[in-house]
Amino acid sequence: MRESQSAVIERGVDLVDVHDTEPFEVAWAGEARWYIHFLRPVEGGSAEFRVQISPDGLNWIDHDGIDPLVTDAQGFHSIPVDRFGHWLRLRSTRLSGAAEPLLRIYLELKE
Amino acid sequence: MTTPEVASTAASLRDAIRSSDLRLSKFNPLSRILTFDDFNEGAHGWVELGGNYNGRGDLDSMDEHFRDFRPPMLSNQNFFDVGTHGAMTGTYSLKLATRKAAGHTSTAIRRLTMSGRGLLQIEAYIAWKGEANLGGGEEANTYGDISWDANSHPTEAQFGAFTVATDLDHDGIRYHNVMRFQNADENGRIIQKWMYPTVAEPTPHERFEGKHDYGRYTDFTAPNPDDWTYLNDVRQEACYNEVPTKVNWHYLRFLIDTTTRSNVELQFNNDTYDLSHVPVPPYAEKYESLESLLNFYFSVRTLGPHRNFLFLDSVVISADW
Repeated sequence: MRESQSAVIERGVDLVDVHDTEPFEVAWAGEARWYIHFLRPVEGGSAEFRVQISPDGLNWIDHDGIDPLVTDAQGFHSIPVDRFGHWLRLRSTRLSGAAEPLLRIYLELKE
Repeated sequence: MTTPEVASTAASLRDAIRSSDLRLSKFNPLSRILTFDDFNEGAHGWVELGGNYNGRGDLDSMDEHFRDFRPPMLSNQNFFDVGTHGAMTGTYSLKLATRKAAGHTSTAIRRLTMSGRGLLQIEAYIAWKGEANLGGGEEANTYGDISWDANSHPTEAQFGAFTVATDLDHDGIRYHNVMRFQNADENGRIIQKWMYPTVAEPTPHERFEGKHDYGRYTDFTAPNPDDWTYLNDVRQEACYNEVPTKVNWHYLRFLIDTTTRSNVELQFNNDTYDLSHVPVPPYAEKYESLESLLNFYFSVRTLGPHRNFLFLDSVVISADW
């Protein structure tokens, strides 16, 4: 049976401008999936999400195989991830909108 | 054989078997092992402590200081200078990590119930670290009491505290046994003493009743610093080992008695402390839905804008019933 973990990385975070999730160690996992839920959507707003990787939890770069997800600031979204190495985080950027959306962010991991 | 002789033989046999078990020989459990977690096969039920939410799952219904205890992670201790450090057993340990925010606490809990009363014990091999820092100016070489001298490292002064505790309830009475290693204060002054709270932990039900409403970075175990007492005046020296990326494991054993709802003793490496005088404040109010509750938690609390980490490998919970 494959090991697995769901981590609620952010239970409810106001996206003011740019937000990086806390470094999460994922060396044991072979696949991952982010979920982003706009708990408080913003009409007419938009946001961008970038999957980032790191060799040490200190230095970060964009995942070389995943294009940034740009979406309206509403709804429920997901980003599948593989070949990510030992650390993962998600960078969220508020691109437009009159107010700050509220996000819940999950990270699902599986061997 | 007489009954005492049978019991003695059984205990000796149990000890002999345990001492030849590569995973258990480093522990000294009570007669019945309830859990053994080495974190090479997942988190084994150690999960982020969660707050209590309403019937709609509203975030706002949770105590603010209970909303962000962080998910524990399986760590291979991957560092910038040496790569993968690994754990005490195998490659992985369980890592609790705070945010870079003064007062933030990360907490992982394991949830059981009691099938008896008597001695109850948690043992663990643990390590605690500040987060390594890369870059900055000369100021990065000093924090609080520590200036880098190629022996001591400023990240040691950036580590606040770790705590081992219970959440127990039986026969209508709920209580916590709590011991904390306070490493440094909010200014990075080294303390390195054991301490315990003299009040019961504020509960979500009390907030619901309007008795309190704490902020995000409150010390959830006992918010008022005046409600903490040092176990003694002795500095508990330990092996941080100079830099944040050398990990040495320390033995911790916390023994309590649920029959008397009391603390018994704490062992940290070669030091054993009598805790029989350390209070275990019960709640005056009866809590429903918690009969025979048996929870243990570990937490780590930073007092500055620095991530603090607590690593566990392995953890054994045992009882004498």
